[in-house]
Amino acid sequence: METKDINVCVLRIEGTNNEQEIYDSFKRLGANPSFVHLNEFKSLENFQCLMIPGGFSSGDYIRAGAIFASRIRSRFWDDIKDFVRDGYAIGGICNGFQVLVELGLLPGFSRSIGKVNACLAENDSARFECRHTVLKHVGPNKCVFTRALPENEVLVIPSAHAEGKLLLADDKLYERMEKNGQIVFRYCDRSGRTDCGYPWNPNGSPQNIAGICNEKGNVFGMMPHPERAFYKENANGHSGKVIFESVINYIGERF
Amino acid sequence: METKDVIVNVGLKKGISDPEGNNIKKALRLLGFDEVEEVHVNKYFKITIKASDEDKAKERVREMAEKLLTNPVIHDYEIRW
Amino acid sequence: MPDIFEIDLNVSEERLKGISEETGTGLSLDELKVIRDYFVKEGRNPKDIELQALGQAWSEHCCYKSSKYYLKRYLFNFDAPQNLFVIKEDAGLVEFDKDHAYAVALESHNHPSAIEPYGGAATGIGGILRDVVCMGAQPIALVDPIFFAPPTTSSELIPKGVKHPKYIFSGVVDGIRDYGNRVGIPTVSGMTAFHKGYLGNCLVNVGCVGIVKKKDIVYSRVGNVGDIYVLAGGGTGRDGIHGVTFASKELDDDSQVSSRSAVQVGDPIMKEPLIHACLEANEKKLLTGLKDLGGGGLSCVVGEMALAGGYGAKVTLENVHLKEKDLLPWEIWVSESQERMMMSVREKDLNKVLKIFRKWDVPAVVIGKVIQEKRLLIEWHGETIFDMDLEFLTEGPMYKRPFKKVSTRNENVEFGEPEDYNGTLLSLLKDYNCACDDWVVRQYDFEVRARTFSPPLVGMENCETHADASIIKPLEDSERGLALTSDVNPHFMVLDPFWGAASAVDEAVRNLVAVGARPHSFADCLNFGNPEKPEKMWEFVQAVQGLAHVISKIGATFVSGNVSLYNEGPAGACPPTPTIMGIGLIDDVNKSVTTPFKGNGNLIYIIGNTKDELGGSAYLRYRGIAGGIVPRVNPYELSNASFSLIELMGKGMVISCHDISEGGICCTLAEMCIGNEIGAAITLKGKLRPDKELFSESNTRWICEIDPNDRAEFEDGLRAHQVAFTILGATGGDRLRMAKDGKMLVDIEVKSMKEAWQRPLWDIMG
Repeated sequence: METKDINVCVLRIEGTNNEQEIYDSFKRLGANPSFVHLNEFKSLENFQCLMIPGGFSSGDYIRAGAIFASRIRSRFWDDIKDFVRDGYAIGGICNGFQVLVELGLLPGFSRSIGKVNACLAENDSARFECRHTVLKHVGPNKCVFTRALPENEVLVIPSAHAEGKLLLADDKLYERMEKNGQIVFRYCDRSGRTDCGYPWNPNGSPQNIAGICNEKGNVFGMMPHPERAFYKENANGHSGKVIFESVINYIGERF
Repeated sequence: METKDVIVNVGLKKGISDPEGNNIKKALRLLGFDEVEEVHVNKYFKITIKASDEDKAKERVREMAEKLLTNPVIHDYEIRW
Repeated sequence: MPDIFEIDLNVSEERLKGISEETGTGLSLDELKVIRDYFVKEGRNPKDIELQALGQAWSEHCCYKSSKYYLKRYLFNFDAPQNLFVIKEDAGLVEFDKDHAYAVALESHNHPSAIEPYGGAATGIGGILRDVVCMGAQPIALVDPIFFAPPTTSSELIPKGVKHPKYIFSGVVDGIRDYGNRVGIPTVSGMTAFHKGYLGNCLVNVGCVGIVKKKDIVYSRVGNVGDIYVLAGGGTGRDGIHGVTFASKELDDDSQVSSRSAVQVGDPIMKEPLIHACLEANEKKLLTGLKDLGGGGLSCVVGEMALAGGYGAKVTLENVHLKEKDLLPWEIWVSESQERMMMSVREKDLNKVLKIFRKWDVPAVVIGKVIQEKRLLIEWHGETIFDMDLEFLTEGPMYKRPFKKVSTRNENVEFGEPEDYNGTLLSLLKDYNCACDDWVVRQYDFEVRARTFSPPLVGMENCETHADASIIKPLEDSERGLALTSDVNPHFMVLDPFWGAASAVDEAVRNLVAVGARPHSFADCLNFGNPEKPEKMWEFVQAVQGLAHVISKIGATFVSGNVSLYNEGPAGACPPTPTIMGIGLIDDVNKSVTTPFKGNGNLIYIIGNTKDELGGSAYLRYRGIAGGIVPRVNPYELSNASFSLIELMGKGMVISCHDISEGGICCTLAEMCIGNEIGAAITLKGKLRPDKELFSESNTRWICEIDPNDRAEFEDGLRAHQVAFTILGATGGDRLRMAKDGKMLVDIEVKSMKEAWQRPLWDIMG
């Protein structure tokens, strides 16, 4: 389909506050985003992409993303499962990533969609941190949100969160994700090494994981904010824009 | 209908690091409380519910804990009736 | 128990004083006599709610009774062509481009933060956001200047009833972080200063800038007779009762316990949809007026809106939605509960407005209407409990308070040259006032909304240094930007309030110019002690004149501000602190300049003259010397140099730039080296003794990095405006070296400077 016909649902409730920049990112590339308040949400029928923006949905009370996730689950869980099954794209950035994890859509092993087997836990520093992080694209280009970014390319993307440490229910799941090619971004240092610690890895995430996708590759979440680096080109010519270009390009080819 | 206060106490599972607790431990020690060995931060929800059938109500509170109040990957919880 | 009391004012003076105390209104004896005369004419006694409303309206916080005489006389006489609507409302409006204006507001939240730092600081953000939203503007940036006693203050020095500065500091930062981040407006600028005079009187100032289409500007006044008052947002509760009278007196050691109810509780997750809903209703042209509920709550907003429109108001008080039952009528009327906005709406548009608020899950209720007569009437379940002339109620007294000059400090101080310059530099870099403040800055989301073109920390990742000003690019389809900074040096102010205040404006201008922006407007938050003390009043009047000295010559004026007096506690008064927020305009953000050195082999220039002005400097404080000459300001030189530098930056000729402030040339160069880990070699050529030249904090100076190929054109540009400059040396290597008369003074690795500069706040605050 043509880019201008790609409908992107930018879902908001009280406390989501990065929706405008997500909207702008798609708009700049010629797609057709729209804001949908959860109170007015009807169905995903006319959308090809669902974006859960960052922020502090419902104040992040109880746990980051937990209330938003439980409200989505009670409102249109079946709709979401069909959306994923049919290959449409879902992206969550920062708080949106936390919501997708709380929904059980990420890590999203195909046999257990909806099972919560991960958590974005409090940063090791026990505080909110706003910091420019360096990310390495480590995936084998399976993820529909990074397909335009070659493997091993490095991007500088701002991070700003208090709960970004990805913990999995079982250590074996890290291997499984690795094997499935579900690990998309790792934090690295200026030289591209991914075995560096704080502050390069701002939250203490095991194996420096910054972004992941589901087994199919069409659900994606990352803690750093590519929409804030849309225009900030790195030496390799890439910027945060590549995330939005990738998914538009995927939808255009596939549907 | 009768109402009842139920306590759901949510804490981190053993072995999950507790940065907030560690931070508070450090702060307490800085204030001179050298005897502090460990601090753990729990969340304590007091939920007032309408409850006619006790068994059914307990089951509902368990559901609340599992659907919203906890993430099973890092949390344990206990319900005090 | 009856809801309403009548209060008999025809009593002895002794008894009148008792009434002021028992009602907590803070009215003085003279003020009560004026009120008594008014009610004698009305032929009755006031009701408690009327006296409470007068206590609010006539408080220092609401009517500026001690300050307005001097502000009008010295500071409000200047205008600038870009000013659209200034001083009169909660935020000033200044032209951004043909179709847009920006709104500026700056306030203090000092007293609540001293008692309950977390809640006090958080609600300060809430209040300043409302000030901007009520002009119809979308908030785009927050600025947080905060002032504390040193975190190392020994516990034994802390008087009873005062909390440790470390506790206050960390609570204030937590409050700003949790509210600002949640509400999704970036905190892009601010300053953190430490002085022992802030013990027990921390200052928490907060500024906000918003952007609005000119056609969507709305004012804080009702439109016409018959318009409906709609109150939107959170419920009204007991939180924040007597907040303004509390802000208008000194804190005593008992304040810690008894003043809790004066501190409000913030709810950013109510605020965020409240902002959306208000802006949506305004953009649809459904509002005739919009104002926030701040100090004084309903009692101030209803009357002020009516009077500004030239009308009166009639209120049905029981319609106000409450957080808790059993509030007395006067409590509802003066409560300062957060997250509330007042709108005036034409009757025909009422349902459309209520529908918008329902969509956003924000409560909105009708509480009254506009009447022709300039009076305020309140009904409570059918009974009239309030009936007063609005002009009498709202105008309040004005005092020309006496002042007395405080003996000036010694300007002639003697001290020897240091042996170890490396050690001196490292010590200054570790001074909490000079050291890296990223422990604070990184807790704030300075990039949410993705409009932060240049953040408060600049340089390579995890190596960043201080920016002089942050730059916001407010509009999607325009490259025009706003630069923001906030400045004041309390150490100068204590020694000399006139030149200290003048220096604060100079520093704000320098910071804007350093990033390539031209100074466009200013806001001031004047934090001082008890105005009833002539010495404190002197500090205030001196400072106001110092501000006027500079502002009169730079083509931009104060467009908004706030006065906070009575900042005194058990340990004394706060240092006089006129916080200046500077807003600069830059036509193309892509031409902005940042602090860190960018390359090797470039020329390093100093712009401006270095003089023997070390009074209040970081260097003399390190040497333990009180006194010296506080830096002076020549506004003509400032204006010329600024104009010239901005012009050269517009031509792309300045690679990096940093203003010279605390720690002098020496610390400025260190900060420029740190950001990209590039060293420099410098030879000093001035006539001063080397330590004075290195550490002087003379105003109107910058360091610039220039490509050697641009040398001639750069120098010609400066000469054309009679701007003084000298080549200091060149960039390169991994060390900072400074020599004078063939003697090496400083020779130190950039990495060691970085370590010394970056650690201090992390080490003490954890």
